[in-house]
Amino acid sequence: MFELARQLGTSGLSQAIQSTLWLTPLLQAIHILMIGIVFISVLMVVLRILGRYRADDPFTAIWLRFAPWMWWALAVMAATGLVLIIGEPLREASALSFWLKMALILVGVLSVLGLRRAAAGFTGTSMPFGTRLAATVVLVVWIAIIYLGRSIAYDAEIWGSWSLGVYA
Amino acid sequence: MSTPAFVQALYDSGIAVWMRDSLKAMPLIEATHVLAIATVFGTILIVDLRLLGVAGTGRPYSVVAREMLGKTWTAFVLAVITGALMVAPNAITYYGNTAFRLKLLALVLAGLNMVIFQLLTARTMPTWDTSAKTPTAARTAAIISLVLWTAIIFLGRWIGFTKGYDFSVPEDVQFEFPQ
Repeated sequence: MFELARQLGTSGLSQAIQSTLWLTPLLQAIHILMIGIVFISVLMVVLRILGRYRADDPFTAIWLRFAPWMWWALAVMAATGLVLIIGEPLREASALSFWLKMALILVGVLSVLGLRRAAAGFTGTSMPFGTRLAATVVLVVWIAIIYLGRSIAYDAEIWGSWSLGVYA
Repeated sequence: MSTPAFVQALYDSGIAVWMRDSLKAMPLIEATHVLAIATVFGTILIVDLRLLGVAGTGRPYSVVAREMLGKTWTAFVLAVITGALMVAPNAITYYGNTAFRLKLLALVLAGLNMVIFQLLTARTMPTWDTSAKTPTAARTAAIISLVLWTAIIFLGRWIGFTKGYDFSVPEDVQFEFPQ
C-alpha cells in the first residue's frame, strides 16, 4: 500500500497538484463548505426522526428537502477529496485517521440510507426508540468523520504508535 | 511589525502555553472548529436560500429562520471559543497574517449585513413572509451573506497555509499573502 502511494506520489498528476501550491487550500476550503451542507442535511434528517425538527411534517418531506443537497455535496466532497489524496498519497495512506475516516464514510452513507428505509412513510411525531437510537448513532458517526478528517494532518499526535507509518 | 501588548499577553497566557504544550489539543480544537463552522454555514445557507426563493419556499421565512438561527448562534459561539483557542498559542503570527485580518473583516461585514437586514428589511417581513418572491433588499442581503460566509471559510483555510510558510500566488487567485 505504501509502495503504491509512493509511486502515485511521483506520478505526473500528483506532482502537478503538489506544485500548484494554492490548489490544496482551495480544494480544502470547498471540502469544508460541502461538510457544512452534508452535516446540516444529516442533522435535519436525524432531528426529524428525534421529533425535534418539523415534527408536524411527514419524514419524507424532510428527506426530499435535504437528500438531494446531501448527495450533491457528497459528490463534490468525493471529487475534491480524491484530488487531495492524489496530491499527497503517502500522507493519507500512512494516516490511521484516513482509513478510519474512509470506513466511517461508508458506514455513514449506508446508515443514512438505512434511516430512510426505517423512517419512510412515518408521519407521527414520535418514532420508535430503535429508530431514534439509530439516528443518534448516525449523527455521531458523521461528527466522528469530521474529527478524523482533521486528524489526518496530526495522525502521529492523535494515535501515537498506532499511526501507520513514518513519512519517507 | 511591532507586536501590540494585548497580542503578546494573549501569546503568553496560560491557555496559550497549555495549547502549545499539548499534542492533542490543537487537532481536537480544530476539528471542533470545523464542526461549528459547518453548522454555522449550513444553517445560514438554509435561511439564505429561503430568502432567495431557491429552496424551502413552501414554508414561511419566519418559521425557517426561527428553526435555524438558534443553532446558528450556538455553533457561532462554539466557533469563536475554539477559534480563540487556535489563535492564542500563535497570537503573534496570526496578528500579522493578512488572511486572518481579512477573515475578521469579513466577519464584521457579515455582522453588519445581518444588522441592516434585521433593522430595515425584516420590518416589512409580514408582507412577504409566506411568499417565495422576496424583496430585492432581502435577496441582496442573502447573496452578501453567502459571499461573506464562503469568504470566511476560504480565508480560514488560507490562514493555515500562510501561517508558517509563504508560497507564490497565481494572478487569477485574488488572495493576498504576507511576504
